[in-house]
Amino acid sequence: MGIGQGVLIPARRGRLRQPARAGRPRWSLLLLLPVGIALSLGFVLPLALLFVKSFETSLGYGQVSGHLTFSSYVTAVTSPLYRTVAVNALEIGGIGTVVTLLLSYPLAFFIRFRLRRGQNTILLLIMISLFAGYIVKIYAWTTILGTYGVINTGLERIGLISQPLSVLLFSKIAVLIVVTYLSIPVSVLILVGSMQNVDRALLENARDLGAGGLRAVTSVLVPLSATGIVGSLAYGFVVISGDYITPQLVGGTTGQMIGVPISDQFLNIGDQPLGSALSFLMLAVFILVYFGLSRLERFKGV
Amino acid sequence: MSTAVIRLRRRLRRRGIGLLRVYVALLLLFLFLPLAVLIVFSFSASGQLRFPITGLSLRWYREVFATSAVTSGILASLEVAVVTGAIVATVGTLAAVVVQRYPFRGSGVVTGVILAPAALPGLVIGIALLNFFGDLHLTLSLMTVTVGHVIYTLPYFYLVLSARLRRFDPALEEAATDMGAGPVQRFRLVTAPLIAPAIVASAFVVLALSWDEFQITFFTIGDQSTLPLVIWSRARLSIDPSVNAIGTLMVAGSLLVVLFTRRFIAESYT
Repeated sequence: MGIGQGVLIPARRGRLRQPARAGRPRWSLLLLLPVGIALSLGFVLPLALLFVKSFETSLGYGQVSGHLTFSSYVTAVTSPLYRTVAVNALEIGGIGTVVTLLLSYPLAFFIRFRLRRGQNTILLLIMISLFAGYIVKIYAWTTILGTYGVINTGLERIGLISQPLSVLLFSKIAVLIVVTYLSIPVSVLILVGSMQNVDRALLENARDLGAGGLRAVTSVLVPLSATGIVGSLAYGFVVISGDYITPQLVGGTTGQMIGVPISDQFLNIGDQPLGSALSFLMLAVFILVYFGLSRLERFKGV
Repeated sequence: MSTAVIRLRRRLRRRGIGLLRVYVALLLLFLFLPLAVLIVFSFSASGQLRFPITGLSLRWYREVFATSAVTSGILASLEVAVVTGAIVATVGTLAAVVVQRYPFRGSGVVTGVILAPAALPGLVIGIALLNFFGDLHLTLSLMTVTVGHVIYTLPYFYLVLSARLRRFDPALEEAATDMGAGPVQRFRLVTAPLIAPAIVASAFVVLALSWDEFQITFFTIGDQSTLPLVIWSRARLSIDPSVNAIGTLMVAGSLLVVLFTRRFIAESYT
């Protein structure tokens, strides 16, 4: 406490910014009016109404009464059905996010520090794989992982298996493979972006001081690219555990995640209050994860 | 340090770089395997997705264009992307310029609210909008889809544009003021021409994201389907190899677009 506090705890970025210039026109805040209207009508209000909906009562067959109750939250927390898919979402989200980061980091490092020419070519290739179409890419994986798909046939040909592995498609493993695949391109772009400001000379200095290649990366580059690491983890976790499409296309019965029952409640005759309650519980978990990650970033950054 | 140790270290380092190269090649293979599979199977003569394919044909490409579903999906997607791009570019540029140039008390909160939608899964934004439009008794259409896309793409536009704005020299604007330009004149003659390329580059990000958006669109779509929704309706129900043909065309299309816009992409990363 006392004097040391200001030094040990980094000031929030906003406070370091220089004060507003005197020349700021008074009407400049009016320019924020369009974004304010767009976000209040398109985001804040719909989210608030969804929150209200989570306390309303379902009358069945898609009908809802305005009677306020906690019963949807009670159902969401106590029903074993939702617990299984929620645990699945946390598990697939957690593992997928970490695997994505571990797979992407070396590639980002390679692009930033090992390529002098051709850097843009690899980035363009990653962009192409990113923009090839979300549903299309998931569909391609059903062709790869299916009973007569590329992997099963390949393994049979070289004699490693005698019967197709049915666990490959319509399983938790399939979901994990596909969501990891889907989140790698963005993760690489985030990481490369965070490494742009790291001076190559810093890594070479660490080497000259006797650190091995791997040591130089872990002790110098990792703290300096902490923003990208945390960004990649946060992005991956939300995108993966909130995914309700991949489980439907490749998840079978064991690979379902919480997003699927949430989305079901909003189609046709579902229980909308329950779907709303489930999604706010999911958001609560996301907030906890964000909080944990921001602590991690500060810890690494200092 | 003895020369032997240095030599050993150098050799280990070289081997490390060699391993890294092998790893990068394998990872790129992983990233492009599905695309290669897509392309190969799009030319398959068979309706079954058995590997290896047994004959070549263009039947799936004929099937893509046999009905107007795909074509009208492409047109709907383009319409949504362009309208979204125009709205986001206008609204987002005003916000980014004000927050960047004239930071005020509470501008951090403004930034936080603008970025918040990126922290939520598309699913939650989608059902929130569906619920909202239901309360308003609005008929779902490409317009409601566009609302979702604006909310979804605005954070990315704002982030990319703000990062670029940070590089401009505020002295140029001050010089304009010193030479007697009013705020409007200064914006028209100095700020706007300076930031126009950055706005265009950031708008490309919006177009790309909107073009491929599915998770929000799924809940806000009316009678008219965007391209991802058309693909979904084919991929979900049964084995439909025409999805492979659509996918191949999309890969080819994104290749062309990326090559066409590579100057912008290269700029934002170097």
